[in-house]
Amino acid sequence: MIESAKWEWEITSKTSWFVNLKELYFYKDLLLSQTRKDFLGAYQQTLLGPLWVLIQPLLTVGIFVVVFNNILGVKTDGYPPILFNLMGVTLWTLFSEVFTNTSRTFTQNAAVFSKVYFPRIIVALSALLLQFILFGIQLLLLGSVFAYYVITKQIIFHASSLPLALVAIVVTSGIAFGAGLIFSVLTAKYRDLTSLSQLLTKLLMFVTPVFFSLAVVPQKAVAYVMINPLSPMFELFRAAFSGDYHGSLSGIGFSVMFMVVIVTSGILLFNKMGDKLLDVL
Amino acid sequence: MSETVIKAENISKLYQLGSIGSGSLRRDMQQWWHSHITNRDTETSESKDKIWALRHVNFELRQGEAFGIIGHNGAGKSTFLKILSRIIKPTEGRILGKGKISSLLEVGTGFHPELTGRENIFISGHMLGMSKREIVKKFDEIVDFSGVETFLDTPVKRYSSGMYVRLAFSVAAHLEPDILVVDEVLAVGDAEFQKKCLGKMNDATHQNGRTIIFVSHNLQAIGNLCSKAMWLKNGEVAANGHVKEVTTSYLQTLHTNSWSKKFEDINEAPGNDSIRVLSVDLIPQLAHHDAVFDIRTPMLVKFSFKTMIPITKMTVDLLLFNASGECVFDIPSNQLTIQEEFVNAECSIPGNFLNDGAYYFSLYFVEDTSKELFTYNECLSFEIADYREETNWYGKWWGSVRPNFPLTLTPATSLSAVIK
Repeated sequence: MIESAKWEWEITSKTSWFVNLKELYFYKDLLLSQTRKDFLGAYQQTLLGPLWVLIQPLLTVGIFVVVFNNILGVKTDGYPPILFNLMGVTLWTLFSEVFTNTSRTFTQNAAVFSKVYFPRIIVALSALLLQFILFGIQLLLLGSVFAYYVITKQIIFHASSLPLALVAIVVTSGIAFGAGLIFSVLTAKYRDLTSLSQLLTKLLMFVTPVFFSLAVVPQKAVAYVMINPLSPMFELFRAAFSGDYHGSLSGIGFSVMFMVVIVTSGILLFNKMGDKLLDVL
Repeated sequence: MSETVIKAENISKLYQLGSIGSGSLRRDMQQWWHSHITNRDTETSESKDKIWALRHVNFELRQGEAFGIIGHNGAGKSTFLKILSRIIKPTEGRILGKGKISSLLEVGTGFHPELTGRENIFISGHMLGMSKREIVKKFDEIVDFSGVETFLDTPVKRYSSGMYVRLAFSVAAHLEPDILVVDEVLAVGDAEFQKKCLGKMNDATHQNGRTIIFVSHNLQAIGNLCSKAMWLKNGEVAANGHVKEVTTSYLQTLHTNSWSKKFEDINEAPGNDSIRVLSVDLIPQLAHHDAVFDIRTPMLVKFSFKTMIPITKMTVDLLLFNASGECVFDIPSNQLTIQEEFVNAECSIPGNFLNDGAYYFSLYFVEDTSKELFTYNECLSFEIADYREETNWYGKWWGSVRPNFPLTLTPATSLSAVIK
């Protein structure tokens, strides 16, 4: 028997913590095609198509303005209520959509995963990419509303603080992605955690400065709001437009640290558990 | 001599039963608590819920070889393919390989029903590991092979199932891996297309030197395509070697034994206050000892029963149903007026009569032509294997019956010789 010189690959019981970057690069076309598929697929045979991307935040903002500002009288920190809420809702939509869609990676794709192999993280990454695209469209809406208020001289535009928005976007989506990866593994194994994660996302919005600003939070409650690593980011996102940041610098540092930890642990857990999960899916 | 491209060493897969799918966090935590904290031995309770889906599977393939895997449902064929496709991990052992490996475990993996055929070619192609450039290059060839070019811009949910399968397989057929793993996908599609697919696979091994690993229930297709085969039985390798030897030994264990049911205790026997069935047997009349029970084999059906009360003008119908529950035939017995007695019954069914497939018998006991006494549903299930002399067609043979009536063609010289 000729003993073959070199084997190119090996399949064993071992699973790895790390992403195989070479393999990931090999499947780059799949990443884009999955994003395209999800985008096109979502709007086939619909009346308004991708317009829903804009209708959803507009309706939410409309209701927030009526309930929180007109009825409950929540102060909007000197902003016009519509702009104030739109800023919060736009960033919150990014967070909740990235988290929800990433956390469904295994449960929604069980059928495909059990028939063909590719790095599973591709699906999560393509969900993230799609959400960035949708967020980009919503950002255009926010930009135009903002421009309207600047032009009508109701607010002042601070160009210098605008890059802060990028930090808020990256950290917020990072936290959502990392937490989503962890939940995708947990919900694949324990299905009842799906409802828990849905409930948590809903409740989390009320302890995140989405429709209120830290400036209106009573002094003794601020500490509780700031435990939430998302809070500094929502303040930062609004500050990017107005130049007024209500949180502390250490709050931002905490958020960034939190993001790094959760993204790293999310990716490690996802890779380590991903191959084993197919036995229980 | 070509080199070894894939080698499986001692592949085993342990599955946990019971808790799979229930996904209970509490149970897992309890188990963890017992094994890590209290150190209580949970082995005894665990071993009951665990099953080896595969045990010590070894094989080696050289470049250009076609390898067939056969076995009953649940023998571990799918588990094995999934390990080979890197979908699941083996519990023990390893597989070493060289070159690009692609799997085709399902037709149309990743297809999105709302999107057009064109979009889906790309989606499915990428999922199977093709790059954009590769797909663009082969796009026309893929469309041509599938024969659905007119519907390329129609959502695939509007395709007929045949068109869907053709398009899906065409994408997969244009993969160019060094090792191709194929599950029973040829069971779909129409005759012409099946022929095309098998032809494509044949070319792949014989002309392009690809290695193919092929799982199928269709022993004809395996026999024609593969040179080597492995037979899996309850997760273990029952035979591994030349395709002819493996398929023959597989067929023998499948079909030589007779199907038999016996009920010694009359009170436990199926039936009621009027009839108790005591035995049912199906005995294939094989020509010689190692012959295989297939469509050519005559069968003898025997059954016996006891009448518990005197019955006047009793008849028994022997009914044969196919797998889809359609009645193939209904044979009534002669009439008998009897006391409380034992009765033997026998019916012979000729060879070259039934088509291949799964069947079951039922017995229907009637008094005085219309009064039902007892029905014994599905008293005996069996399967008839296919047999074809020389053919290029491996799809399911049509029809409930498959008589060997001669159909002769004679060339004629003129129109008047044809229409008289």
